[in-house]
Amino acid sequence: MSRAAGAGAGWRAPGPAPSDPGPQERIAARRRRMSARLDAKRRAALGEDAEPKAVEEEEQRRSHKEIEESGQRLAKLLFEGTQMVTNIQVAADLRETQRRAEEAELKLRRLERLEKEAKSGTARFAEITSRWALATERTIPQELWQLLDWQQQRCTRLLEQKNQLISDLQQELKNKDEQYVQAIKQQSDDINLLLERMEEQIRTMLKTYRHKLLQIEKAFELERRELLDSNKKKWEEAIQAHNTQELEYIHTRLRKVEEFEKQLKQLLLQDEEEYNSMKIQLEIEVQNLEKQLQQMKAAYQLTQEKLDFNLQVLRKQDEENAIIRSQQKRKINRLYTIFSNLRTKLAKQEQQFREEGQSLTTHCERIMAKCKVVQRKMRHFALSDSEKFTEVWLMNEEEAKGLMRKALDADFVIHTQQLGLHWEEPHYWFLNNVGPLGCYKAKRRATELAAQILTESSADRQEEEEREKEMEKVGSEGGGKENTMKAEDKVAPLRNICKKTAKRILELVSDESGFLLEGKQLRLLQALGRDDRILMKLDSIFGALGIDSEDDLHQLLDFFLQYKAREVTVRQSQGSPGGDVTDPAEDREHGGSSPQRDELKPPQSPPASLPSASIRTDDVLRILNAFMRDFNKPREKDESPKDVLPERDSSRDEEYWAALAHVIPQPVLKLWDALAAALEEYYNVLTSRATLLAETSVLQQQNSELCVLLEEYVSSRVNSELLCPPTKWMDLSLACPREAQRAPKAKAEML
Amino acid sequence: MQQPAPGDGGRAISSLYPPPASLAAEHRVIEDPEWSLATVPHLTDLCLQHIIHNFGKNPVLNRLLPEHQRKVLDRLSTDVPLAVTANLIRDEDYWKRCCTERWQVCDISNYGGSWKRMFMERHLENVVKRFIPNSTDPNQVLELIPLCKDYVRKLEVDQFLPPLQVDQKEEMDDDDTGSDFGDDEVSMHHYDIGVLITALPHLEELHLTYGMKDCGMNFEWNLFDFTHQDCCNLAVALKKCHNLKVFKLTRSKVDDNQTRLLVRNLLDHPCLVELNLSHNLIRDKGAQAVGKLINCSRLETLDLCNNQIHHEGAQALAQALAENSTLTSLNLRLNCLEDKGGEAIGHALLTNTTLKSIHLGSNNLSEPTATVFSQVLAQNTTLTNINFSCNHLGLDGGKQLLDGLANNKTLTEFDLRLAEVGQETEYLIHQIVWANREVARLGSLQNAPAKPL
Repeated sequence: MSRAAGAGAGWRAPGPAPSDPGPQERIAARRRRMSARLDAKRRAALGEDAEPKAVEEEEQRRSHKEIEESGQRLAKLLFEGTQMVTNIQVAADLRETQRRAEEAELKLRRLERLEKEAKSGTARFAEITSRWALATERTIPQELWQLLDWQQQRCTRLLEQKNQLISDLQQELKNKDEQYVQAIKQQSDDINLLLERMEEQIRTMLKTYRHKLLQIEKAFELERRELLDSNKKKWEEAIQAHNTQELEYIHTRLRKVEEFEKQLKQLLLQDEEEYNSMKIQLEIEVQNLEKQLQQMKAAYQLTQEKLDFNLQVLRKQDEENAIIRSQQKRKINRLYTIFSNLRTKLAKQEQQFREEGQSLTTHCERIMAKCKVVQRKMRHFALSDSEKFTEVWLMNEEEAKGLMRKALDADFVIHTQQLGLHWEEPHYWFLNNVGPLGCYKAKRRATELAAQILTESSADRQEEEEREKEMEKVGSEGGGKENTMKAEDKVAPLRNICKKTAKRILELVSDESGFLLEGKQLRLLQALGRDDRILMKLDSIFGALGIDSEDDLHQLLDFFLQYKAREVTVRQSQGSPGGDVTDPAEDREHGGSSPQRDELKPPQSPPASLPSASIRTDDVLRILNAFMRDFNKPREKDESPKDVLPERDSSRDEEYWAALAHVIPQPVLKLWDALAAALEEYYNVLTSRATLLAETSVLQQQNSELCVLLEEYVSSRVNSELLCPPTKWMDLSLACPREAQRAPKAKAEML
Repeated sequence: MQQPAPGDGGRAISSLYPPPASLAAEHRVIEDPEWSLATVPHLTDLCLQHIIHNFGKNPVLNRLLPEHQRKVLDRLSTDVPLAVTANLIRDEDYWKRCCTERWQVCDISNYGGSWKRMFMERHLENVVKRFIPNSTDPNQVLELIPLCKDYVRKLEVDQFLPPLQVDQKEEMDDDDTGSDFGDDEVSMHHYDIGVLITALPHLEELHLTYGMKDCGMNFEWNLFDFTHQDCCNLAVALKKCHNLKVFKLTRSKVDDNQTRLLVRNLLDHPCLVELNLSHNLIRDKGAQAVGKLINCSRLETLDLCNNQIHHEGAQALAQALAENSTLTSLNLRLNCLEDKGGEAIGHALLTNTTLKSIHLGSNNLSEPTATVFSQVLAQNTTLTNINFSCNHLGLDGGKQLLDGLANNKTLTEFDLRLAEVGQETEYLIHQIVWANREVARLGSLQNAPAKPL
C-alpha cells in the first residue's frame, strides 16, 4: 500500500495538467503516466523507500510479538495444566510404590512370624508327640489322666496359638479389605479429581485460547487501523493534489467552453439559415411528394379495387371452372362408360342389323317378287276397274239423266201447266255426254300426239279418221255427245302452240335427227309414205331421247319455241321487229291449261306466235342437245308414276256432275220455291176450309139435336110448376143460330 | 407417509365398491378437496421405496443411477443384515448412521476417518467380547470374517469371557472339595483369537485384555486367567500376522514363561513397531526375553509399565538398549529397577542415539542413578523426555542432574515430581527445560513456515 501510495504520489506530481481533452492529448497523458509509474517502481526496487519497509517490519513485529507472547503463555498454561493433571497419576504412583514397599515389609514380617510360628508349633508338636510315648509307660490312671490332661492343655494351647495366628491373619485380611475399599474410594476420588481437572484444564484452555485469539485479533485490528489511517492520510493528500489539478483543468475547460460556445453560436446561426432554406425547399418537395403520394394512393386504391374485383371474379370463375371441370370429368367418365356401352351395343346392333339386313334383303327380294305379282294384278285390276268405272259411270249417268229428264219434265209441266208459260228445252253440252270424261286424253303417248299433230295439220281427213278411232275406242255407248267431245279434243293437243309450228318442229326433228335411228330402220322406212315415215322416225327418235308422254313432247315443243323466242328477242333488239300476232286460240286456252304448263310457259309474249320457219335446221341439234340436258332432270322425278296406269282426269267430273245436278237453273229453282210456298199456303187455306166445313156440319147437327132437346124441356110440365119458369126470363127466340151456338160454348167454358 | 398412498386409498375404495378403479379414483378426487396429484409419489420413488424395503432379499444398488443410489442409501434401514451390506455399500453416510445408532460415543479419528471401518471393527470386537467358548457357535465369528476382513485394521478386545458357568460351578465344587486340583485350567481356555486374526489380512493393531469387565460380586480369580493354551494360540497366530504393527497385551497376568513364548514367536517380525505388555506379571526373565526382542525386530515403542522387573531384567534391557538403533520410547514405570537397574540403563543411554523418551517413574531409584543420568544428560543429544517421578533421588541427585543439564539443549521434558530433589533444583531444571522447549518450538515454527516457502 505504501509502495502504491508512493508511486501514486510519484506519478501524480510530474504529470503535466492535461489542459486539452482531445483524444491525442489524452493518449499522450496516459503515456506520461505510465512512464511515471515505471519510474516509481524502479525507485522502489532500488530501495529508495526503505523507510516504509522498516515501519512495516516494526508493525509486523508487534503482531508477531503478540502471537509469540500468547503462544508462550499458552504453552505454559498447557504445561501447567498437564502437570496438574498428571500430578494425580504421579501421586497415585507414589502411593502405589509406598504401598508396595509397605506390603513387601509386611509380607516379610508375616513370613517371619509364620516361620517363627511354624517353628514353635513344630517344636511344641514334637514335645506333644514325644509325650505320647510316656503315656504308654504310665499305668496309673491318675498319672495317665494327668498326662492326658496336660497333653490336652498343651494341644489346646497350640491350637489357640494357631487360631490366634489365623485370627490375626484374618484381621489383617479384613484390614486389607478395608484398605482395598479405601483404595478404591481413593482411586475413584482421584479419577473424579482427574476428570475435574481435565475439564477445568479444557475450560481454561478454551478460555485463554479465545482470549488470546481476541487479543491477537485486536492487535491485528489495531495494526490494520493504523495502516488504514496512514493510507487514508496519504490518499487524502493525493486527493487534494488531484483536486487542485482538477480545478485547474476545470478553469481551462471553462475557458475553452466559452470559446466553443461562441463558435457554436456562430455555427448555429449559419446552420439555422441553411436549415430554414433547406426546410422550405424540403417542405415544397414534401408537398409535391405528398400530392404524388395521394395520387398514387388513389390510383393504387382504384387498381386495388379493380384487381380485387378481378381477382374475385377470377376466383369465382376458377371455382366455377373447377366445378365445371369436375363435372365435365364426371361427365366424361360417364360418357366413356356410356360410350363403351354404346360401342358394345353398336357392335351388337351392327351384327343384328347385318343379320336383319340379310333377312330383309331376302325379304325384299321376296317382296319384289310379290310386288311384281301385285303390279301385274293391279294392272289387271286397273283395267277391270276402269271397265267397271265406265260401267258405273254409265249407269249413274243414265240414272242422272233419267232424273234430269224427270226434272226437266217437271219444269216443263210447271211452266206449261202451273205458270202457263212457254217452256224451252235447254241445250247443255253435258246432256249429250256419255261415258267418263276425257279418259284417254292424258294417256296419249307422244308418238300419238305427234301423229295427231302431223295429221291434223296435214289433212282434215286424216284428222277425222283419227277422231273416229278415238270415238270407237272411248265411247261406243255415248255417241250422242260426240260434238262436245270433239270441240274439247281439238283444243287439247294444240295447247298453246299452233298446229303448224308444231308440225314444222316435228318434221325438222325427224329430218335432222335421223342419226339416232338404226340403218336398217331407215331403209325400211324408205318404203313408207312421207307421213308414216316421219311418224316412224319420230317414234324411234323419241324412244332414243326418252320422250314418252304427251307432256314430254309439249315440253320439247315449248323448248324449241323458247329457244326461238330468245333468238327473236336478240333479233328484235337488233332492230327488226317481227309480226307480233297473237293466236286467239292460244288466248282461249289460257284459262283451261294446267298449272304445270303455265310454269313452262315463258312470261313474255307467247312464242307460238312466231313463225315456225324461223327455226333453222342447223339449230335443231343444238336445241335438242340443250333440251336433253334440262329434260333429264324432271324426268327422273316423274319416273315413278309413269309405270302406273294413265291418270284419269277427274277435274271435270265434278263439274260435269254438278252441271247434271244443276240442269235446272237457279232462277227456276227460286221460282219453284216461291211457287211451292204459295201452293203450301194455298193448300193450308184449303185444308182449314175443309176442317171448318166439317165443323160446321157437326155443329149444325148438334144444333139440331139441341133444338130438339129444348123443345122437349120447354114442353115438359115441370116448367109450369116452377115459381118462376125459365120461360119467363129466357128469351127463347132462336132466331139467330150463331147466338145459339155461342151459348153452349160459354157453357162449356163455364164447366 | 403422513398422507395415505393414493394407490392404497383407491384400492380400498374399489374393494368396497365394485365399479372400476378409475371411477373410484375420480370419486375420491371429488370427495377429498385436499387431495392433489402433486402428492402422488413418482414411480421412481415407489420403486426405490420397494428396493429399500426389500433390500435384505434383493439388494439392488450398483445398477441404479447415482442420485437414486443416494436416495436408497439415505433411507436404507440400518437393520439390514451385514451379510448384504458389508461388501455392497461403501457409502460413509450409511455407516455413519449405523455407528451413531448403535453407539453413543463415536470417535472417528481412532479409525482412520472411516465409519465403515469403525462399524466393522467395533462390531467384530463386540462379537468377540461376547463369545463364550463351548456354548457360542464359532460360526458366528467365522461368518463375519469374509464380510469384514477387508476393512478391519485394528482390533481392540478388552474382554474375553471364560467358558460356561457350569464349569464355574464345577470349579466351585472343586474348590469345596479340594482346591489343589489344577486340571481346571484345561476348561478355562478363552476364545482362540488366532482363528480370527489370521483371517484378517489388513490387521495392523491388536489390543487384547484377557479379563472380564463388570463382574461385580461374581469375582473369581480364575476369571482373569491367561492360560498357557491361550498364550500358545495367541503366539502362533501372531507369527502369522505379517501386517501387525501394534500389539498390546495388557492386564492379562502374563508371566515370564508366557512372555518368553510370545517373544519367541515375535522374533524377526517384519512390521511390529509397538509392543505393550503393561500391567502384567513379567519378571526378570520376561524382561530378558523382551530385551532380546528389542534387537531382533523393528520395535520403536516398548511399554512394560507396572510389571515386576528387577535389576536383572533392567540390566538385560539396558544391554539390549545399548546396541539398539530402532527403539525411540521405553516405558518402565512402576517396576522395581532400583539403582542397579537404573545405573545399567543410564550407562546404556550413554551410547544409545535413538531413544528419545524414557520413563523410569516409581522405580525406587536414588542418587547413584541420578549421577549416571547427569552424565547422560551432558552427553546424549537425542533424549527429549525423561521421567523420574516418584523416586528417591534426593537433593544431591537433583543437583547432579542440574549440573548435567546445564549444557543440554535437547531435553524438553524432565519430570522430577515427588523425586525429593528440592524445589529450587526443580525450578532451575524447569527453567532450563523450558528454555530448551522454547527453542525447539521456535525451530519447529520456523521449519514449518519454511517448508511452504
